[in-house]
Amino acid sequence: MNPIRLIAADEWRLMRRNRVAMLGLVMLLALSVIAALTSIAQRDNSDAIRARFQAQADQAFDGAPARHPHRMVHYGHFVFRPLPALAAFDPGVDAFTGNTIYLEGHRQNSANFGDVRQSSLLVRFGQLTPAFVLQALAPLILIFIGFGIVARERERGTIRQLFAHGVAPRALLFGKALGLGGIAALMLAPGVLALGWLIAFEGAPLAPSLTLLAGYAAYLGIWVLLIVIASSLAAHARTALMALIGIWAFTVILLPRIAPDVALATNPTLTRLETDIAIKEDLRKMGDSHNPDDPYFNAFKQRTLKQYGVEKVEDLPVNYRGLLAVEGEKLTSKLFDDYADRQFAAQKAQSRFTDTVGLLSPAIALRRLSMSAAGTDLEGHRRFLSQAEGYRFAIVQQLNQLQATAITYDDDSNRNKDPEAGRRVRIDPKNWQKVPDFRYQAAATGEKLQAALPGMLTLLGWLVVLGFGMRLAIRRLADAA
Amino acid sequence: MQIIVVDALIVERGGRRVLDNLSLTVKAGEIYALLGGNGAGKSTTLSALLGFLKPVSGSLSVAGVDPASNAEAARHKIAYLPENVALYEHLTARENVEYFLALAGEAHGPEEIEAAFDAAGLQAEARDRPLGGYSKGMRQKVAIALAVVRQVPVLLLDEPTSGLDPRATADFNALIGALKERGTAILMVTHDLLGAADCADRIGFLDNGRIVEEVACDQGYDVMALHRRYGEAVAA
Repeated sequence: MNPIRLIAADEWRLMRRNRVAMLGLVMLLALSVIAALTSIAQRDNSDAIRARFQAQADQAFDGAPARHPHRMVHYGHFVFRPLPALAAFDPGVDAFTGNTIYLEGHRQNSANFGDVRQSSLLVRFGQLTPAFVLQALAPLILIFIGFGIVARERERGTIRQLFAHGVAPRALLFGKALGLGGIAALMLAPGVLALGWLIAFEGAPLAPSLTLLAGYAAYLGIWVLLIVIASSLAAHARTALMALIGIWAFTVILLPRIAPDVALATNPTLTRLETDIAIKEDLRKMGDSHNPDDPYFNAFKQRTLKQYGVEKVEDLPVNYRGLLAVEGEKLTSKLFDDYADRQFAAQKAQSRFTDTVGLLSPAIALRRLSMSAAGTDLEGHRRFLSQAEGYRFAIVQQLNQLQATAITYDDDSNRNKDPEAGRRVRIDPKNWQKVPDFRYQAAATGEKLQAALPGMLTLLGWLVVLGFGMRLAIRRLADAA
Repeated sequence: MQIIVVDALIVERGGRRVLDNLSLTVKAGEIYALLGGNGAGKSTTLSALLGFLKPVSGSLSVAGVDPASNAEAARHKIAYLPENVALYEHLTARENVEYFLALAGEAHGPEEIEAAFDAAGLQAEARDRPLGGYSKGMRQKVAIALAVVRQVPVLLLDEPTSGLDPRATADFNALIGALKERGTAILMVTHDLLGAADCADRIGFLDNGRIVEEVACDQGYDVMALHRRYGEAVAA
């Protein structure tokens, strides 16, 4: 057996004989298994609930009685975002962004029912998921297991014995890295099993799953190299421990929490309330379809009359009120889209800032990769909002068209005065069934992989830099020998 | 046959000349004791022979291999016992020996290892206990057993009897005597003139990185006179 494998095998033997290290490892593995099981169960449950509620909402809409189409516009519709299978591994922003939207005419509502708003406060401190265990806890346990991996050899004098028996500094450090890497691989094992389960039984896509696996393996590899290098360069094991704990606290805890706040400060976004006020203000400026003197809608009226070659709205072959509703919705939707685009542009700038900070923190880079591959990133939420808004606009305009074509202008104008007209404007409920159901289209595999690429490149960059760090540590070890 | 050859060796550490034209030789089946006070250059000599230090000038040879240019090959010819024997406490004596043999790329059967333990005088019941509870003398026996089983031509000893009681010292001397009989060239550095006089064939007195006097035990010498001359210096 070559010295690298021998040294690695001895590390595993030491690990087996060290009760404290074994306890730490067993605890982490137990946590990983529990996290995987609960996460899969929670996702399945959550997805089933959302699917059930979506079916109920569709049924309620389709089964609504005969009504005026504009009442259906305000009756609205609920849509739910289905949870991707890989959300069981990394739920990402799902708990914070909400997963359902109430769609109605003239309004763009935000997503509701994020877990943090309805569950225990503990959710805010991080859910127990395989992603959380591997991102935050696994490096910490690796540090406690490995901080003395080289330093203790120096402190006890065994390093000189190793060299005296022909072990080269390079073989020593690579052997230590392989030994600690084996322990890291063991930590990854429950996650691998969870991913295998998700692929085999829950329909998780293969390529993003493998990307997740590669990302987490690279992340733990980074920590392994960091620990070996720190333990090799530090004068004492306790110095290595302090340095590594500091690096962990800074890159895993501090930076990922500070970065979004700084990103928000440098690229501020309006709050929901501020956005609502601003939209109301803009809507007021845009015009009022109920005001006969409103210049925009007066111009629209003239245009419409000219288009149909008639003098009065009563002579139009279609219901002018319906046309007004179509035009009004077009205007408000455009405004909503503009605000949403601005909001997303600011959020993208925030994400870019966080990505840049991610160069300093492998944890941030991994989170980006993990959420993108799992389809639970902010882009997935934006995608849901965007599709929901597109769906909202389509069904509202379909109902507005029904108002324009299925109801006469006279009936519509007199529906509150004439009971017969009031009865006639309540159109056949079969029309509601013609409104298509909402089907969320998740990002394609290519898009997910592309979104995960910056995170992966950052992690690979870290591995390259640490490769140079290993070379430095080997040289220093050879000099010190 | 000269196994260890040090010729006009100059070694500097931190800009200070530690070995200054040091020359010495050790034959196969010979024990050479290098005596000197703190900072005289004893441990530096061992480090240079192990290839841990590169000389400024001069030459070194360990069983025909130059450790300055080919440290790994030289280390395969050497068994080294530091002052505080550094072995793994989580391993048993047997596992330690097996581990270091494997690292050195040497394959030896369990019988050879048992024989080496017997030769080193390590009690049978201790061989499968982790080293955590071993005394210094017992650890030395493990290290000696390792040297015995490796059958290397060179044994380097750094203060081997420091901290040992008289009985353990006597056992140790008997052990290296046995290795000498097998033809091993043994270089020991020590403060202990009387101990060295007990087992060494030649004694070299090191001062400021050079040998100031060398005596051969078979030519007869007055230990007490040597003690009067160098006793204070080597005990420093």
